[in-house]
Amino acid sequence: MRIPPFSSPGLLLAGAVTLTALALWLLLPRSSSTRAARGVGYVFGTVALVAFIMSGRRMGCIGDEVVFSIVSIVAVVSGAATILTRSPVYSAIWFALSLAGVSGVLLVLGAQFLGVATIVVYAGAILVMFLFVLMLAQPSGLAPYDRVSNEPFLSAVSGAVLLGLLSLVIGRMSLNENFSESSAFAGFVANNPALLERQLLQDDHVARLGSQMFGRHLVSVEVAGVLLLVSLIGSIAIVSRNTESQSKTLLRGGLRDE
Amino acid sequence: MNEASLLNNALLVGAMLFSLGLVGMLTRRNLIVMFLSAELMLQGISVSLAAWSRFHDDWGGHILVIFVLTVAACEAAIALVYVLGVFGRTGILDVAAWQSLGNDSMEKQVDRELPSVDTLSPQWPRLTPAGVQPEIDQNELLEREHI
Repeated sequence: MRIPPFSSPGLLLAGAVTLTALALWLLLPRSSSTRAARGVGYVFGTVALVAFIMSGRRMGCIGDEVVFSIVSIVAVVSGAATILTRSPVYSAIWFALSLAGVSGVLLVLGAQFLGVATIVVYAGAILVMFLFVLMLAQPSGLAPYDRVSNEPFLSAVSGAVLLGLLSLVIGRMSLNENFSESSAFAGFVANNPALLERQLLQDDHVARLGSQMFGRHLVSVEVAGVLLLVSLIGSIAIVSRNTESQSKTLLRGGLRDE
Repeated sequence: MNEASLLNNALLVGAMLFSLGLVGMLTRRNLIVMFLSAELMLQGISVSLAAWSRFHDDWGGHILVIFVLTVAACEAAIALVYVLGVFGRTGILDVAAWQSLGNDSMEKQVDRELPSVDTLSPQWPRLTPAGVQPEIDQNELLEREHI
Protein backbone atom coordinates (compact mmCIF):
# COMPACT_ATOMS: atom_id res chain seq x y z
CA MET A 1 0.00 0.00 0.00
CA ARG A 2 1.42 3.37 -0.98
CA ILE A 3 0.55 6.91 -0.15
CA PRO A 4 -0.07 8.80 -3.38
CA PRO A 5 1.76 12.09 -3.28
CA PHE A 6 -1.29 14.33 -3.42
CA SER A 7 -3.70 12.39 -1.32
CA SER A 8 -4.89 14.12 1.81
CA PRO A 9 -2.32 12.79 4.31
CA GLY A 10 0.52 13.51 1.92
CA LEU A 11 -0.69 17.03 1.34
CA LEU A 12 -1.12 17.56 5.06
CA LEU A 13 2.38 16.25 5.64
CA ALA A 14 3.84 18.56 3.00
CA GLY A 15 2.05 21.50 4.59
CA ALA A 16 3.32 20.50 8.01
CA VAL A 17 6.88 20.28 6.74
CA THR A 18 6.67 23.69 5.07
CA LEU A 19 5.19 25.25 8.17
CA THR A 20 7.87 23.65 10.33
CA ALA A 21 10.61 25.09 8.16
CA LEU A 22 9.00 28.54 8.21
CA ALA A 23 8.43 28.45 11.96
CA LEU A 24 12.01 27.38 12.68
CA TRP A 25 13.34 30.05 10.35
CA LEU A 26 11.21 32.74 11.94
CA LEU A 27 12.01 31.69 15.48
CA LEU A 28 15.73 31.06 15.19
CA PRO A 29 17.88 33.91 16.43
CA ARG A 30 18.56 36.22 13.53
CA SER A 31 19.83 39.72 13.22
CA SER A 32 16.59 40.99 11.78
CA SER A 33 13.99 39.22 13.83
CA THR A 34 11.21 41.37 15.13
CA ARG A 35 8.58 40.64 17.71
CA ALA A 36 5.89 40.30 15.04
CA ALA A 37 7.96 37.77 13.09
CA ARG A 38 8.40 35.74 16.24
CA GLY A 39 4.66 35.83 16.89
CA VAL A 40 4.00 34.55 13.38
CA GLY A 41 6.62 31.88 14.04
CA TYR A 42 4.84 30.72 17.19
CA VAL A 43 1.54 30.49 15.29
CA PHE A 44 3.20 28.56 12.43
CA GLY A 45 4.88 26.21 14.87
CA THR A 46 1.64 25.41 16.66
CA VAL A 47 -0.19 24.85 13.37
CA ALA A 48 2.68 22.64 12.17
CA LEU A 49 2.51 20.52 15.32
CA VAL A 50 -1.26 20.13 14.93
CA ALA A 51 -0.80 19.29 11.25
CA PHE A 52 1.76 16.63 12.09
CA ILE A 53 -0.63 15.07 14.61
CA MET A 54 -3.49 15.22 12.10
CA SER A 55 -1.49 13.64 9.31
CA GLY A 56 -0.31 11.00 11.76
CA ARG A 57 -3.92 10.21 12.59
CA ARG A 58 -4.81 9.99 8.91
CA MET A 59 -1.96 7.58 8.40
CA GLY A 60 -3.21 5.70 11.41
CA CYS A 61 -0.12 5.92 13.50
CA ILE A 62 -1.19 8.26 16.26
CA GLY A 63 -2.99 6.41 18.99
CA ASP A 64 -5.21 7.76 21.68
CA GLU A 65 -3.12 7.32 24.76
CA VAL A 66 -3.33 10.57 26.69
CA VAL A 67 -0.22 10.16 28.82
CA PHE A 68 1.94 9.39 25.83
CA SER A 69 0.61 12.40 23.94
CA ILE A 70 1.26 14.75 26.83
CA VAL A 71 4.80 13.64 27.55
CA SER A 72 5.77 13.55 23.89
CA ILE A 73 4.39 17.03 23.29
CA VAL A 74 6.33 18.25 26.33
CA ALA A 75 9.48 16.60 24.98
CA VAL A 76 9.15 17.99 21.46
CA VAL A 77 8.06 21.51 22.38
CA SER A 78 10.74 22.00 24.98
CA GLY A 79 13.28 20.43 22.61
CA ALA A 80 12.31 23.07 20.08
CA ALA A 81 12.62 25.77 22.72
CA THR A 82 16.11 24.47 23.55
CA ILE A 83 17.42 25.38 20.14
CA LEU A 84 15.32 28.52 19.72
CA THR A 85 16.00 30.52 22.85
CA ARG A 86 18.78 33.04 22.67
CA SER A 87 20.14 32.70 26.17
CA PRO A 88 22.16 29.51 26.75
CA VAL A 89 21.00 29.41 30.37
CA TYR A 90 17.37 29.15 29.31
CA SER A 91 18.46 26.66 26.70
CA ALA A 92 19.82 24.38 29.40
CA ILE A 93 16.62 24.70 31.44
CA TRP A 94 14.46 23.84 28.42
CA PHE A 95 16.70 20.88 27.70
CA ALA A 96 16.17 19.61 31.23
CA LEU A 97 12.42 19.83 30.70
CA SER A 98 12.79 18.01 27.40
CA LEU A 99 14.67 15.27 29.23
CA ALA A 100 11.78 14.93 31.64
CA GLY A 101 9.46 14.47 28.65
CA VAL A 102 11.78 11.92 27.05
CA SER A 103 11.99 9.92 30.23
CA GLY A 104 8.20 9.97 30.38
CA VAL A 105 8.09 8.57 26.85
CA LEU A 106 10.57 5.88 27.88
CA LEU A 107 8.44 4.99 30.89
CA VAL A 108 5.34 4.68 28.71
CA LEU A 109 7.35 2.41 26.43
CA GLY A 110 8.03 0.17 29.42
CA ALA A 111 11.72 1.00 29.71
CA GLN A 112 11.68 1.71 33.43
CA PHE A 113 15.40 1.56 34.02
CA LEU A 114 16.18 3.76 31.02
CA GLY A 115 13.62 6.36 32.06
CA VAL A 116 15.11 6.69 35.51
CA ALA A 117 18.69 6.48 34.25
CA THR A 118 18.04 9.27 31.76
CA ILE A 119 16.95 11.57 34.55
CA VAL A 120 19.73 10.55 36.92
CA VAL A 121 22.60 10.64 34.42
CA TYR A 122 21.52 13.69 32.49
CA ALA A 123 20.51 15.65 35.58
CA GLY A 124 24.12 15.44 36.69
CA ALA A 125 25.35 16.27 33.19
CA ILE A 126 23.00 19.20 32.87
CA LEU A 127 24.00 20.48 36.26
CA VAL A 128 27.63 20.49 35.13
CA MET A 129 26.64 22.19 31.89
CA PHE A 130 24.75 24.76 33.85
CA LEU A 131 27.79 25.54 35.94
CA PHE A 132 29.83 25.90 32.78
CA VAL A 133 27.29 28.26 31.30
CA LEU A 134 27.17 30.36 34.42
CA MET A 135 30.95 30.40 34.54
CA LEU A 136 31.47 31.34 30.92
CA ALA A 137 28.37 33.40 30.22
CA GLN A 138 28.71 37.00 29.30
CA PRO A 139 27.64 38.99 32.30
CA SER A 140 26.41 41.97 30.30
CA GLY A 141 23.64 40.81 28.03
CA LEU A 142 23.80 38.32 25.21
CA ALA A 143 26.83 37.84 23.03
CA PRO A 144 26.49 38.45 19.29
CA TYR A 145 26.99 34.78 18.54
CA ASP A 146 23.90 34.03 20.59
CA ARG A 147 21.77 36.54 18.79
CA VAL A 148 22.74 35.85 15.17
CA SER A 149 22.69 32.25 14.02
CA ASN A 150 24.43 30.60 11.13
CA GLU A 151 22.36 30.15 7.93
CA PRO A 152 19.03 29.77 9.71
CA PHE A 153 16.93 29.32 6.58
CA LEU A 154 18.95 26.50 5.02
CA SER A 155 19.25 24.55 8.23
CA ALA A 156 15.55 24.96 9.04
CA VAL A 157 14.68 23.67 5.58
CA SER A 158 17.03 20.72 5.87
CA GLY A 159 15.71 19.77 9.30
CA ALA A 160 12.11 20.01 8.14
CA VAL A 161 12.83 17.94 5.02
CA LEU A 162 14.49 15.26 7.13
CA LEU A 163 11.52 15.23 9.49
CA GLY A 164 9.10 14.99 6.57
CA LEU A 165 10.96 12.08 5.00
CA LEU A 166 11.18 10.22 8.29
CA SER A 167 7.50 10.67 9.09
CA LEU A 168 6.58 9.64 5.54
CA VAL A 169 8.53 6.43 5.99
CA ILE A 170 6.94 5.82 9.38
CA GLY A 171 3.49 6.45 7.93
CA ARG A 172 4.07 4.03 5.10
CA MET A 173 5.32 1.45 7.53
CA SER A 174 2.18 1.83 9.61
CA LEU A 175 -0.02 1.44 6.55
CA ASN A 176 1.59 -1.86 5.78
CA GLU A 177 -1.12 -4.32 6.84
CA ASN A 178 0.89 -7.36 7.69
CA PHE A 179 3.07 -5.08 9.77
CA SER A 180 0.45 -3.40 11.86
CA GLU A 181 -1.99 -6.24 12.27
CA SER A 182 0.27 -9.16 12.83
CA SER A 183 3.43 -7.69 14.21
CA ALA A 184 6.56 -9.73 14.58
CA PHE A 185 5.81 -10.36 18.19
CA ALA A 186 2.16 -11.24 17.61
CA GLY A 187 3.07 -13.76 14.95
CA PHE A 188 5.69 -15.21 17.20
CA VAL A 189 3.26 -15.54 20.09
CA ALA A 190 0.58 -17.12 17.91
CA ASN A 191 2.98 -19.95 17.26
CA ASN A 192 4.18 -20.23 20.85
CA PRO A 193 1.37 -19.53 23.30
CA ALA A 194 3.69 -20.12 26.21
CA LEU A 195 5.47 -16.89 25.37
CA LEU A 196 2.42 -14.72 25.87
CA GLU A 197 4.12 -12.98 28.78
CA ARG A 198 6.34 -10.28 27.45
CA GLN A 199 9.73 -10.41 29.00
CA LEU A 200 10.23 -6.65 28.87
CA LEU A 201 7.17 -5.88 30.97
CA GLN A 202 7.73 -8.10 33.96
CA ASP A 203 8.07 -6.95 37.53
CA ASP A 204 11.75 -7.85 37.69
CA HIS A 205 12.53 -5.69 34.66
CA VAL A 206 15.74 -4.23 36.08
CA ALA A 207 17.03 -7.62 37.25
CA ARG A 208 16.44 -9.08 33.79
CA LEU A 209 18.13 -6.11 32.16
CA GLY A 210 21.11 -6.52 34.46
CA SER A 211 21.39 -10.23 33.76
CA GLN A 212 21.28 -9.51 30.02
CA MET A 213 23.87 -6.79 30.33
CA PHE A 214 26.32 -8.71 32.46
CA GLY A 215 25.65 -12.02 30.74
CA ARG A 216 25.27 -11.67 27.04
CA HIS A 217 26.86 -8.23 26.66
CA LEU A 218 29.67 -8.59 29.19
CA VAL A 219 32.45 -7.86 26.70
CA SER A 220 30.66 -4.71 25.58
CA VAL A 221 30.47 -3.54 29.18
CA GLU A 222 34.21 -4.03 29.50
CA VAL A 223 34.81 -2.12 26.28
CA ALA A 224 32.58 0.72 27.49
CA GLY A 225 34.58 0.84 30.72
CA VAL A 226 37.81 1.09 28.77
CA LEU A 227 36.28 3.83 26.65
CA LEU A 228 35.34 5.82 29.75
CA LEU A 229 38.83 5.39 31.14
CA VAL A 230 40.44 6.48 27.89
CA SER A 231 38.29 9.56 27.60
CA LEU A 232 38.99 10.45 31.23
CA ILE A 233 42.74 10.16 30.74
CA GLY A 234 42.55 11.96 27.42
CA SER A 235 40.65 14.92 28.77
CA ILE A 236 43.00 15.24 31.73
CA ALA A 237 45.98 15.06 29.38
CA ILE A 238 44.60 17.76 27.10
CA VAL A 239 43.78 20.07 30.00
CA SER A 240 47.14 19.62 31.68
CA ARG A 241 49.01 20.13 28.40
CA ASN A 242 47.19 23.41 27.87
CA THR A 243 47.90 24.71 31.35
CA GLU A 244 51.51 23.52 31.17
CA SER A 245 52.20 25.37 27.92
CA GLN A 246 50.46 28.46 29.26
CA SER A 247 52.51 28.47 32.46
CA LYS A 248 55.71 27.89 30.46
CA THR A 249 54.82 30.84 28.29
CA LEU A 250 54.26 32.95 31.36
CA LEU A 251 57.54 31.85 32.94
CA ARG A 252 59.60 32.70 29.91
CA GLY A 253 58.15 36.13 29.67
CA GLY A 254 55.90 35.41 26.73
CA LEU A 255 58.60 33.75 24.60
CA ARG A 256 57.56 30.59 22.79
CA ASP A 257 59.76 27.59 23.46
CA GLU A 258 59.81 26.35 19.88
CA MET B 1 -3.21 1.44 22.03
CA ASN B 2 -1.80 -1.53 20.21
CA GLU B 3 1.87 -2.28 19.87
CA ALA B 4 2.30 -1.13 16.29
CA SER B 5 0.78 2.30 16.87
CA LEU B 6 2.86 2.73 20.03
CA LEU B 7 5.94 1.95 17.96
CA ASN B 8 4.95 4.46 15.28
CA ASN B 9 4.22 7.20 17.78
CA ALA B 10 7.51 6.73 19.54
CA LEU B 11 9.39 6.65 16.24
CA LEU B 12 7.69 9.90 15.24
CA VAL B 13 8.70 11.53 18.53
CA GLY B 14 12.25 10.28 18.05
CA ALA B 15 12.36 11.66 14.52
CA MET B 16 11.12 15.05 15.72
CA LEU B 17 13.72 15.22 18.48
CA PHE B 18 16.45 14.17 16.09
CA SER B 19 15.63 16.74 13.45
CA LEU B 20 15.29 19.52 16.03
CA GLY B 21 18.71 18.61 17.33
CA LEU B 22 20.05 18.57 13.78
CA VAL B 23 18.73 22.07 13.12
CA GLY B 24 20.26 23.31 16.35
CA MET B 25 23.58 21.69 15.57
CA LEU B 26 23.66 23.22 12.10
CA THR B 27 22.60 26.70 12.92
CA ARG B 28 23.46 27.73 16.45
CA ARG B 29 26.84 29.28 17.02
CA ASN B 30 27.20 28.99 20.77
CA LEU B 31 29.27 25.90 21.50
CA ILE B 32 27.27 25.00 24.59
CA VAL B 33 23.97 25.17 22.72
CA MET B 34 25.46 23.03 19.94
CA PHE B 35 26.41 20.56 22.60
CA LEU B 36 22.86 20.48 23.94
CA SER B 37 21.63 19.92 20.38
CA ALA B 38 23.87 16.88 20.04
CA GLU B 39 22.40 15.52 23.27
CA LEU B 40 18.92 16.17 21.86
CA MET B 41 19.76 14.04 18.82
CA LEU B 42 20.96 11.27 21.12
CA GLN B 43 17.67 11.47 23.01
CA GLY B 44 15.76 10.98 19.77
CA ILE B 45 17.84 7.92 18.97
CA SER B 46 17.25 6.56 22.46
CA VAL B 47 13.49 6.89 22.12
CA SER B 48 13.56 5.09 18.76
CA LEU B 49 15.72 2.29 20.12
CA ALA B 50 13.51 1.77 23.15
CA ALA B 51 10.45 1.69 20.89
CA TRP B 52 11.94 -0.99 18.64
CA SER B 53 13.02 -2.91 21.69
CA ARG B 54 9.47 -2.86 23.02
CA PHE B 55 8.05 -3.91 19.66
CA HIS B 56 10.31 -6.91 19.20
CA ASP B 57 10.35 -7.71 22.92
CA ASP B 58 14.10 -7.85 22.86
CA TRP B 59 16.67 -6.40 25.23
CA GLY B 60 19.07 -5.25 22.53
CA GLY B 61 17.65 -1.76 22.22
CA HIS B 62 17.81 -1.13 25.94
CA ILE B 63 21.41 -2.31 26.14
CA LEU B 64 22.30 -0.10 23.19
CA VAL B 65 20.69 2.92 24.86
CA ILE B 66 22.80 2.31 27.96
CA PHE B 67 25.91 2.30 25.79
CA VAL B 68 24.70 5.47 24.08
CA LEU B 69 24.57 7.08 27.52
CA THR B 70 28.13 5.93 28.15
CA VAL B 71 29.44 7.30 24.89
CA ALA B 72 27.56 10.55 25.49
CA ALA B 73 29.37 10.91 28.81
CA CYS B 74 32.76 10.37 27.11
CA GLU B 75 31.84 12.84 24.40
CA ALA B 76 30.81 15.38 27.03
CA ALA B 77 34.14 15.09 28.80
CA ILE B 78 36.24 15.52 25.66
CA ALA B 79 34.07 18.23 24.13
CA LEU B 80 33.98 20.33 27.27
CA VAL B 81 37.77 20.17 27.49
CA TYR B 82 38.05 21.55 23.98
CA VAL B 83 35.38 24.16 24.65
CA LEU B 84 37.33 25.30 27.68
CA GLY B 85 40.48 25.41 25.56
CA VAL B 86 38.79 27.59 22.96
CA PHE B 87 37.34 29.83 25.63
CA GLY B 88 40.69 30.17 27.32
CA ARG B 89 42.37 31.23 24.09
CA THR B 90 39.77 33.52 22.61
CA GLY B 91 37.36 34.40 25.37
CA ILE B 92 34.31 33.63 23.24
CA LEU B 93 32.15 30.57 22.79
CA ASP B 94 31.56 31.10 19.07
CA VAL B 95 31.95 28.01 16.93
CA ALA B 96 34.12 29.96 14.49
CA ALA B 97 36.69 30.21 17.27
CA TRP B 98 37.62 26.55 16.76
CA GLN B 99 40.19 27.58 14.20
CA SER B 100 42.20 29.27 16.93
CA LEU B 101 43.11 25.83 18.26
CA GLY B 102 46.36 24.31 17.10
CA ASN B 103 50.02 24.94 17.61
CA ASP B 104 51.44 28.32 16.87
CA SER B 105 54.14 26.82 14.68
CA MET B 106 51.56 25.41 12.29
CA GLU B 107 50.08 27.30 9.43
CA LYS B 108 46.94 29.15 10.40
CA GLN B 109 43.86 27.60 8.91
CA VAL B 110 40.99 29.98 8.31
CA ASP B 111 37.73 28.21 7.68
CA ARG B 112 35.73 31.38 7.87
CA GLU B 113 36.47 34.70 9.37
CA LEU B 114 34.90 35.51 12.67
CA PRO B 115 31.67 37.01 11.43
CA SER B 116 31.08 40.67 11.79
CA VAL B 117 28.36 41.75 14.12
CA ASP B 118 25.25 43.09 12.47
CA THR B 119 22.63 43.98 14.99
CA LEU B 120 19.78 46.35 15.41
CA SER B 121 20.82 49.87 16.01
CA PRO B 122 20.51 50.57 19.71
CA GLN B 123 17.50 52.54 20.82
CA TRP B 124 18.49 55.06 23.44
CA PRO B 125 15.93 56.59 25.73
CA ARG B 126 15.25 60.30 25.27
CA LEU B 127 16.34 62.15 28.34
CA THR B 128 16.76 65.77 29.11
CA PRO B 129 20.41 66.68 28.55
CA ALA B 130 22.21 67.20 31.80
CA GLY B 131 25.95 67.54 32.23
CA VAL B 132 28.59 66.19 29.90
CA GLN B 133 27.72 63.31 27.59
CA PRO B 134 29.64 60.24 28.76
CA GLU B 135 31.80 58.28 26.38
CA ILE B 136 29.97 55.30 24.92
CA ASP B 137 31.78 52.02 25.36
CA GLN B 138 31.77 50.35 21.94
CA ASN B 139 32.26 46.88 23.39
CA GLU B 140 29.31 47.30 25.67
CA LEU B 141 27.26 48.55 22.75
CA LEU B 142 27.79 45.27 20.93
CA GLU B 143 26.35 43.28 23.79
CA ARG B 144 23.06 45.09 23.97
CA GLU B 145 20.05 44.60 21.80
CA HIS B 146 17.63 47.07 23.27
CA ILE B 147 17.99 49.51 26.05
